[in-house]
Amino acid sequence: MSTVWVCSWGAGALARGVEETLSFGRRLATAAGAELGLLVLGATPPGAAELAGRYGAATLDAVPDPKLAPGRPDALVEALAQACRARAPRALLFPQSVEVRLVAPRLAGRLGAAVVMNAIDATVEGGKLRVTAAAYGGDTHAVYEVVGDGPAILGVSTMALRAEPVATPGTPAVQELSLELSPVEERIRTVEPAKAEGPRLEDAAVIVAGGRGLGAREHFALVEQLAAALGGMAGASRPLVDEGWVDASRQVGLTGRITRPALYVAVGISGASQHMAGCAAAKTIVAINKDPDAAIFKHARYGIVGDCHEIVPELIRAARERRAELEKES
Amino acid sequence: MRIVVCVKEVLDPDAVNSFAVAGRLAIGDDGKSITQSAIPRLMNGFDEQALEAALRLRDAGASASIAVVSIGSDPSNILRHAWALGADQIAHVPADPATLDGHASAAILAAWIRSTGGADLVLCGRQASDDDQGVVPALIGERLGMPVVTIARAVSLVGSDTVRVTRVTPDGDEGVEVSLPAVVTVSNEIGTPRYPTAARKLQARRARPEVATTVAIGLAAAELAPRIHLVRQLVPSVHGRCELLDGGPAAAAKALVERLARDGAL
Repeated sequence: MSTVWVCSWGAGALARGVEETLSFGRRLATAAGAELGLLVLGATPPGAAELAGRYGAATLDAVPDPKLAPGRPDALVEALAQACRARAPRALLFPQSVEVRLVAPRLAGRLGAAVVMNAIDATVEGGKLRVTAAAYGGDTHAVYEVVGDGPAILGVSTMALRAEPVATPGTPAVQELSLELSPVEERIRTVEPAKAEGPRLEDAAVIVAGGRGLGAREHFALVEQLAAALGGMAGASRPLVDEGWVDASRQVGLTGRITRPALYVAVGISGASQHMAGCAAAKTIVAINKDPDAAIFKHARYGIVGDCHEIVPELIRAARERRAELEKES
Repeated sequence: MRIVVCVKEVLDPDAVNSFAVAGRLAIGDDGKSITQSAIPRLMNGFDEQALEAALRLRDAGASASIAVVSIGSDPSNILRHAWALGADQIAHVPADPATLDGHASAAILAAWIRSTGGADLVLCGRQASDDDQGVVPALIGERLGMPVVTIARAVSLVGSDTVRVTRVTPDGDEGVEVSLPAVVTVSNEIGTPRYPTAARKLQARRARPEVATTVAIGLAAAELAPRIHLVRQLVPSVHGRCELLDGGPAAAAKALVERLARDGAL
């Protein structure tokens, strides 16, 4: 039986989005008459087998080589290529990340295999694999057909997907894959490691983001104040980053941070697809914009049409009052 | 040193987005292509930023020739733009974009680079704003046996054989070094690209891209066979259920906080 493999590596943990990717993989495996498996590169984090079973994986293959870790693309590509040659999976699924966007296509180049990034759906039609991927920042969806045999390599956009455990969790067969990685040397040398500067937008429960509608750099303070009043973080759309008003680490969108907060408040943001790609998975979206026809209102649960410079101060006041009340009660 | 910048002509993503927002983005009879003739074609923004990175290296004192190459039916406009900005060589490999996937595109670009004297540094945009796939730079790297460094906000040379790249990562900026030759992809964080001077822009009208056929650069038909092909493109519909709150800023703000509290979103 052929295998749909979900691949994961991380620093002491499974990759972010692995559960959503396993759910995606299970649907594809069912359509393809294949088995779902989890491939873990590097030390297997505790609980990995249980998690794999919860999402219907029949196997867990582990390659516990210390060379396999984030920031080691040469080793990761080589390991994946060897694993594919050994097992010939039907498809290889990656929860998409910045590193996956390098490793997955390099692996495809190494194997001469089909590759599709930004996948949101995959199925089998007439024996052929069909993959739907977001294009034009999400303005369109492109459906690709995979030609020929060999593994199809897919980067899965997990933010738009839901993790769906199976009704009856199973116990995957765990085995070690032994690969020869000793000759691999990383060609890229890190000379200045990324310094995680405080909390990340990706982890925030509440995000207040500002866009072009703020009108001037100094008005971004309103966004920061509202974020503070709601106990969240401030974000921005790409034009503000391009203008140099805010740091790139604040950029929400297709080429910035892909977030999934409980609450996303968009202030003066028109709602271009490229931006929505970074926040559409939010549980509740609130839009504040002076243009009633702005696309953001199509995505929002609540909207206020008007001048953000008048509305946001009132919102800060109302949010602070609400906080004060809660503190009084407790 | 020789720097090769790979550029792609795309539909203006802002115009595509405007049509989409207005609910007027339409797919043609082939079920695949956006057909609105009002949407201009231009150089992919990230590719223009890759060219900007090359020009900045030269500004910083690198003695570098800059070659700009594109695939497609007729990318002369974007190639002339590249020449106006300061490219020393502009080249076009004719091919029907509808038949190409990332593999075929990378095969063409790698073969062109190899057959025209190689490259010390290949610069590409991080992804094209049409299909957003971003796989071609990595595939070029694999074909040419070069390391690939992605999402640069700054590129500089260290000595004559090493490039230093500041990468934008989810955990903040990361500084990496890699020996040349290498492929580097450039992101919007590098900043706004320059404009050509009026004089150079005028001269660029007469600039003619070199044309190299896939046969001339040594590619067999099999190397151009795509592994994926586009069967359909569709415009997804967004179903809004937005409750608009009004009554003036203070009342709307109060109503919003009440609803968010009720929903458990606060």
